[in-house]
Amino acid sequence: MKKFLRFTLNLGASLGASLCVAAVAVAEHSPQHQRHELMEAVGDAAKPLGGMLRGKMSFDADVVMKSLMTWQVSAEAFGDLFPEGSESGEGTEAAPEIWTDRAGFDAALAKFLEDTNTAIAAKPQTLEAAQPLIGAAFKNCKGCHDKYRIEDE
Amino acid sequence: MLRLLLLAALVLAAVGWLLSAPALIASEELPARQADSAAGERIFWAGGCGSCHASPVDGERAQGDDRLLLGGGQEFHTPYGVFRAPNISSDPTDGIGGWTDIEFVNAMQRGVSPDGEHYYPVFPFASYARMPVSDVLDLKAFLDTLPAVAGRAGDHELTFPWSVRRGIGLWKRRYLSSDPVVAVGSDDPALERGRLLVEGAGHCGECHTPRDKLGGLQKQYWLAGAPDLEGKGRIPNITPASDTLSDWSIDDLAYYFESGFTPDFDTAGGTMVAVQENLAQLEPADREAIAAYLKAIPAQTAPDR
Ligand code: HEC
Ligand code: HEC
Ligand code: HEC
Repeated sequence: MKKFLRFTLNLGASLGASLCVAAVAVAEHSPQHQRHELMEAVGDAAKPLGGMLRGKMSFDADVVMKSLMTWQVSAEAFGDLFPEGSESGEGTEAAPEIWTDRAGFDAALAKFLEDTNTAIAAKPQTLEAAQPLIGAAFKNCKGCHDKYRIEDE
Repeated sequence: MLRLLLLAALVLAAVGWLLSAPALIASEELPARQADSAAGERIFWAGGCGSCHASPVDGERAQGDDRLLLGGGQEFHTPYGVFRAPNISSDPTDGIGGWTDIEFVNAMQRGVSPDGEHYYPVFPFASYARMPVSDVLDLKAFLDTLPAVAGRAGDHELTFPWSVRRGIGLWKRRYLSSDPVVAVGSDDPALERGRLLVEGAGHCGECHTPRDKLGGLQKQYWLAGAPDLEGKGRIPNITPASDTLSDWSIDDLAYYFESGFTPDFDTAGGTMVAVQENLAQLEPADREAIAAYLKAIPAQTAPDR
C-alpha cells in the first residue's frame, strides 16, 4: 500500500492534479480493479509513443517523458496489486501463473521497469534517439501478456 | 433406437464409400517452372505451418527459430478426440523429405495422402486448396531447406465414427473447393493478393468463421466470428460489422499484424498470438493487402450460438 501511495503522489507530481484524482479513485477499489485501471493507463500512455514510432505523430520530447513516467510509476505500483485472494473475480485477466510463478512475473515486471528507467535517464531529444529506447521497453508488453495474462471474454 | 442409429450409420458409410472417391490433381497439371524457396518462405509464414507442426519445446509452443523444426507432436483436443500433428520435416523416413511434388500438392490441396487416404480437416487443406499451385511448390522448395527432425508423433485418438477416414470423402464433396469465398479482388491486385492470403494460405476462416454440425465452414457467415473450439470464449468477428474493427484503419490492422498491438495498445491474445507472430514475418505489402481485404468484404454478423 505504501508503494501505491507513492505511486499516487508520484503520478500527481509528474502528471498534474487531474490524473492524481483518478489515481485516488483507483485506490479505493479492489486490487482487480486497480490493476485493470493501471494497465489502461499504461496502454493510454503507449498511444502517443506508438504514434511517434509509426510516424503518425510528430516527435515531442515532453510527451515522450510524460508517457515514460506513467509507465514508470505504474510498473512500480503494479507488483503490489496481486495479493492472495485476488486471483479471480471482477473480470480480472490476471493469469494463475502470476501466483504459481511469482518470481517469473516479478522478473518480467522488473525488466519492464528497468527498460523504462533506461529510456527516462537518456532523456531522448530526437526520434532517432528515442526509437531504440522506447522499442526496447515496448517489447516487454507482449512477453508479459503472453505468459501472465488470460483472455476472459 | 441405438440399432436404428447404427444401421443408419452403416448405410451412410456405404454410400460414403461409393461417393467419396477424391479427385486428385494430376502431375501434368503442375506448372513447369523452377520452384523458388525464398518465395516459399513467405507462404510458410502466411500458412502458419510452424504453429501446428513445430515440435513443442518443454511442453510449450515453439518460438523463434524453433518454429522451423517441424517434428510434430503438438496435440489438438477437439470434440472428436485428440489429433496429433505429424512430422513434416525434411527427414526422409519420419518426415516428408521423400515426397514428390505431386504427392505434396495433393496432400495440401486435396487432403489426400500419398497412400490415397483422406486427411482430417484439422489440417486446413480446405483453405490451402485456394492457394495458387505455384505457391504450394515454392513452399515445398522452402520446406526442403529446413532441418530434418527424427521421430514420429503418436497416432490420433478419435472416437467412432470419426476414427474412420473414409467418411471424410463425403465431407470433402460438400466443403472442399478452390473457388474464391468472396469475389473482391478481380481488378485490384492488392485486394486479390489479400484474398489469396486470407482465404488460402492464411486460413483465417478456419478460426474466424462459424462451423455447421458437420464441422464445415458456414460461408454465409464468412469471418463473422465463431466459438473457440479449443475452449473458452469467442473468436472475434473480423468483418466490417465488428464494433471493434470499425474504428481501426487499414493502417491500424497492418500494425496489429506487424506488432501485435491494437490501437489501444492492448496486445493480441490467445491463439491469435502465434498467428500474429507469423504475420510479422511477411512483407509490409502483404500485411496491408490482408488489411485491405478485411475492409472490403461484406459486413456479417454470425448467430450467437
Ligand atoms: C509484468 C507484466 C506486464 C507488463 C510488462 C505489461 N503488462 Fe499490460 N497487463 C498485464 C496484466 C497481468 C494484465 C491484466 C490485468 C488484469 O486484468 O488484472 C494487463 C492488461 C493490459 C491491458 C488491458 C487493460 C484492460 O483494459 O483490461 C492493456 C491495454 C495493457 N496491459 C497494456 C500494456 C502495455 C502497452 C504494456 C507495455 C508498455 C504492458 N501492458 C506491459 C501485465 C503486464
Ligand atoms: C491447424 C493446425 C495445422 C496447420 C496450420 C497446418 N497443419 Fe499440416 N497437419 C495438421 C494435422 C493435424 C495433420 C494430420 C492430419 C491427418 O492425420 O489426417 C496434418 C498433416 C499434414 C501433412 C501430411 C503429413 C503426413 O505425414 O501424411 C502435411 C504434408 C502437412 N500437414 C503440411 C502442412 C503445411 C505445409 C502447412 C503450412 C502451410 C500445414 N501443414 C499447416 C495440422 C496443421
Ligand atoms: C488459430 C485461430 C486463428 C487464426 C487461424 C486466425 N485468428 Fe485472428 N484471432 C484469433 C483469436 C482467438 C483472436 C482474439 C485475440 C484476442 O482476444 O486478443 C483473433 C483476433 C483477430 C483480430 C483482432 C480482432 C479484434 O476484435 O480484436 C484480427 C484483425 C484478426 N484476428 C485477423 C486474423 C487474420 C487476418 C487471420 C489470417 C491471416 C487470422 N486472424 C487467423 C484466432 C485466429
